[in-house]
Amino acid sequence: MADIPDDESWRDWFQHYGPKLLLCARQWTRSLADAEDVVQEAFVRFWRNQRQLGGEPQALLYTSVRRAATDLARRNSRRTAREVRADGGLESIEPIFHIPLEGDDRRADIETALRDLPEEQREVLVLKIWGELTFEQIAAQLGIPPNTAASRYRYALAALRDALTAADCHG
Amino acid sequence: MDNELQELEAELKRLRPLAPSRAVTDDIARQLAAAPGHRRNFWAWTALPLAAMVAGLVLLREQPVAPAPTSAPVLAPVPAATAPVVAAARYKPVSAENLLYARSDEGLVTLADGTAALRTRSSYVDTITWRNPRTQASLKWSVPRTEERVVPVSFQ
Repeated sequence: MADIPDDESWRDWFQHYGPKLLLCARQWTRSLADAEDVVQEAFVRFWRNQRQLGGEPQALLYTSVRRAATDLARRNSRRTAREVRADGGLESIEPIFHIPLEGDDRRADIETALRDLPEEQREVLVLKIWGELTFEQIAAQLGIPPNTAASRYRYALAALRDALTAADCHG
Repeated sequence: MDNELQELEAELKRLRPLAPSRAVTDDIARQLAAAPGHRRNFWAWTALPLAAMVAGLVLLREQPVAPAPTSAPVLAPVPAATAPVVAAARYKPVSAENLLYARSDEGLVTLADGTAALRTRSSYVDTITWRNPRTQASLKWSVPRTEERVVPVSFQ
């Protein structure tokens, strides 16, 4: 994790971490637009109030994203945050990853498999792979034991592998 | 984890998530440009008492309570200015939460330069938690915060 740069460098920092934050936010919101609102609110809040705290800023930022998603859910509807998270912004039709020049079928298969994962496995996988958090940090984010986070991660990878193998066979 | 899963893990790491749209970056720039000095002053004024509070709590928690021995060895006095800093450094921030408890939409306002803008006011309670990884002792700090957003609007 790089040091937090000064005020003038927030664009570089956001360019690097923005896509990862957006992917995480999409798990906890209902649409890509909501996820972008959440990332924006969380980043501004973090940059103004929390980046001077020291410690691990990336973990603080994901906490801020999660909290902003919960706030948005409260504002937008009377649903509980849990219900909104269960809706899953990743269910939307917008792509999740950059579309490469080659291997687009494979990317599409991965996105489909990712969307089909159980929510509790998917959020651990996303936080670990693209959020680059440790199992201890993921556990703190989600309020689960680190061993549970690690096992959900392994289950998620295994489920993805099975789904992709099946897709290869049928493709 | 077997090789197949490790290969899949590596493949997933190579995928680059979609970036937020340009509008998000523009909105962040606009918000960060608005009254940054206020926030700096806020932290400048809160950091010192906060550090003192943390140091005091840490010292209270970690000072052993025992009767003084009858033939206590003479210890070199610990400089008062350095001991709290060393103790407080053991605590690391582990979470920061913001609870929104009120929001009011004040509607259209006119800024000093004549620009029309929408103003909303949100009230939060920010709660920051520190934890000492060695002792698992934790400290929570909650402070109310009011956020005022002014978004310029244009009529066509």
